[in-house]
Amino acid sequence: MTPAIRAEGLMQRFGALVALGPLDLELAPGERLAVLGSNGAGKTTLLRLLATAARPAAGRLDLLGLDSGRQRDRLRARLGYAGHQVGLYPALTALENLEFFARLHGLGRVDAASALELVGLASLAGRSVGQLSRGQQQRLSLGRAVLHRPELLVLDEPDASLDGEGRNLLGRLFGGRTVVMATHDSTLARQVCTRALLLRAGRAAGDPWSLRVVDA
Amino acid sequence: MRSLRSSAPDPNLAHLDTNSLAADRRIRAEDRRLNALTALALASMLAAAGMIFLYAPQDALQGPVQRVFYLHVNSAIAAYVCFAMVVGGGAAYLWKESVRGDRLARAAATVGLVFTTNAFVMGMIWAKPIWNWDPSKTWDARVTSTAVLWVVYAGYLLVRRFATPGRPAMRLAAVVGIVGFVDVPVVHFSVQWWRTLHPGRVIDAPGGPALPPEMLLAFMVTMVAVLLLAGTLVAIRYRIEARRDQLEERAVAAQLELAASHGPR
Amino acid sequence: MQFLRVVFAVAQKDLRSELRARELLPALAQFVVLALVIANFAFDLDLVSGPRLSPGILWLVLVFAGLVAFGRAFAAEKESGSLEAMLLTPAGPAAIFAGKALASAALLVACEAVLLPAMAVFLGSPISATVVVTVLVATAGMASLGSLFAALAAQTRARDLLLPVLALPIWVPFVVVGGKAVQVAMSGQSLAALPLSSQPLIVMADFDILFLVVASLAARFVLDD
Repeated sequence: MTPAIRAEGLMQRFGALVALGPLDLELAPGERLAVLGSNGAGKTTLLRLLATAARPAAGRLDLLGLDSGRQRDRLRARLGYAGHQVGLYPALTALENLEFFARLHGLGRVDAASALELVGLASLAGRSVGQLSRGQQQRLSLGRAVLHRPELLVLDEPDASLDGEGRNLLGRLFGGRTVVMATHDSTLARQVCTRALLLRAGRAAGDPWSLRVVDA
Repeated sequence: MRSLRSSAPDPNLAHLDTNSLAADRRIRAEDRRLNALTALALASMLAAAGMIFLYAPQDALQGPVQRVFYLHVNSAIAAYVCFAMVVGGGAAYLWKESVRGDRLARAAATVGLVFTTNAFVMGMIWAKPIWNWDPSKTWDARVTSTAVLWVVYAGYLLVRRFATPGRPAMRLAAVVGIVGFVDVPVVHFSVQWWRTLHPGRVIDAPGGPALPPEMLLAFMVTMVAVLLLAGTLVAIRYRIEARRDQLEERAVAAQLELAASHGPR
Repeated sequence: MQFLRVVFAVAQKDLRSELRARELLPALAQFVVLALVIANFAFDLDLVSGPRLSPGILWLVLVFAGLVAFGRAFAAEKESGSLEAMLLTPAGPAAIFAGKALASAALLVACEAVLLPAMAVFLGSPISATVVVTVLVATAGMASLGSLFAALAAQTRARDLLLPVLALPIWVPFVVVGGKAVQVAMSGQSLAALPLSSQPLIVMADFDILFLVVASLAARFVLDD
C-alpha cells in the first residue's frame, strides 16, 4: 500500500543553519503521528515541509504517493494545514472566512457551513473574527483545515489555545484521516494518536511509545 | 533532489574543492589566470588613459571637458553589459535553479552599480558646461533610462540584503532584475516619445555626426579597456561569492556530520 | 473558469474587508486633502499657477497614494499568515495575485474619485474627461507591477524602504506619458496631430498590457517558493 508520507533524507536549512534532518519517515494511511520535542527542535519546520508550505533543501518527500516538489498544486487540494498563525480575516465573519476559502477550493457555501458546524462554531457564524477569542479563532482555523475533506491533516500545536471542549473535538475531526500533529501535551497525544516521533535538534530521536503496545 | 546522506560533493562547488593535490593545482592555475587578467585590464586602462589625454585631439566646440565622454559612454556600456549578466543569471536561476547563475548575477550587480554611478556622474560633469544643467535639456531618454537603471540596481541589491537569505533572496532578486530588464527600454521609449514633443539638445556626440578617426580609435581602445576592467571585477567578485557559498556548505556539512556521529535511531 | 472565479473571490474579499474595517480609504482621503493644502501654500497657487502646476501635483499625489494603497495590500496578509493560507489551496498564486491587484486598483480609483474633484475645487484644475481616462489607464498599469513589488517587499525585512525604490522605476513611464497627456489636456491644447500609435492613451495601454503579462508571469515566483 502506498504510504501516506514517505520522507528520505529530508533536510531543511536556513542559510548555514541546519534546522532539520536528515530525516527518514514513513507513515501509512490512517496512522496518526504525534510529533514531540522541545521548542526549537524542528517540529514546525517539519510540519511546514509536510504541508508543502516550504520546500526542503534536500531529500525526497512523497505525500499521498505524489512527489511533493512537482505536484504541489494537486497535493494542496488533498492536504489540510493549521499552523501557528491563524491566518484569518478579522473584518469578515467566521462564516464569511470559511466561505471564502471554500471558494478557493472550488467548493460552495454548504461546505463552509458544515465545516463551521463540525468545529462547533455555528452559533458564532455571524460574528466577525476580530471579535472571537484566540481559542475560537484556532477552532475556526481547524475548520478551514478540514473544509475540503483532505486525506492528510497537518496540525501544528492545535491544542495550544484550545479549551477542554475544543480538545475533544480534535478526535472527531480526525475521522479516518492520516494525521501529523505537533504537540507539547503528551496526554492528548496518547489519546488521539497512534505513533509518536521525538525530535531533538532537528533529528529523529526515536518513538517514545515504541516500548508500549499502542491501540491503533 | 539530492540526498544528503551521500558524500558526493556539490557539483556547483566542485571546482573549488580544496581537499586534494589536484584541487590545489587547480586553484593555483585559477589564481594565475585571474592575476593575468587583472594585469591585462590595468595595462589596457593605462593605454586608454594615454589615448584619451595624449592622442585624441581636443574637441573644437566643447573644449577639454569633452574628454570625459570616452569614459562616460563606455561606463554606460559596461553598466548595461553587467546588467545583462544580472538578468541572464537571474533567469538561469528561475528556470533551472542554477546557483551558478545566481552567483554570476550577485557578482555582476555591485560592479554594474559602480559603473552606472560612474556613467551618471561623468554625464553630469560633461553636461554642466554645455547645457548648464538645464533640466529641460538634460533629461533626455538616455539620461533618464540610466538613472532608472541605477535605481533598479539599487533595488536589486537592497532586495538581496533584506530578503530571507537563501532561496527567497535569489528568487526575489531575479524577479527584480528581469522586471528591470523590461522596464529600462520602456522608460527609454517613453522619454523619447516625450522628446518628440520637446525637441531637446542640439549637441550630441562630439565632433558632429561622425567622429574623426583619432577620436574613434581612442574610443574603441577605451571600450575594450573598460570592458576588460568590468569583466575582471566581475570575475573577482564571482570568486569571492563562490568562496562564501563554499564556507556555508562546509558549515552545513559539519553540522550534518556532527548529527550523524550521534547515530540515527 | 476557475481562474476568474478565484480572482473575483479574492478581490471581493479584500474590498469587503476594507469596507467593513474602513482603514485605508479614510486614510487615503485625508492624505489627498492634506497634500492639496500643502501644495496650495508651498507653491503659492493662484488662478494662473494653479492649473499650470496641477498636472505635476496630480502625479505626485497619485504616486504616493499608490505606494500606500499597494503597500498595505500584502503587508497585513503576510503578517497574519492568511497569504500562506490562500496559497495552500488549489487556487494558484497567479489568480490570488490578480485578485489582490484588482482590489488595490479599485481602492486607488476610489481615492482618485476624491482627488480629481478636490483638485478641481481647491486648485482650480480643469478636470476633463480626457484627464479622467488618462488617470484610469495609468492606474491599471501602475497596479500590475505595483502590486507585484508590494508582494515582494512584504516578504523582506524592510518593506517600507523597498517598495518606493522598486515601484518608482516602473511608474516612471506612466508619469512621463500620462503627465504630458494631462498637461496638454489641462492647458486646452490637443495632441490630435500625433499619429494614432503615438497617442498617449494608446501608448499607455500598450504599457498596461506589457506590464500585465510580465506581472502575471512573475507572480508565482514572488508569492510561492
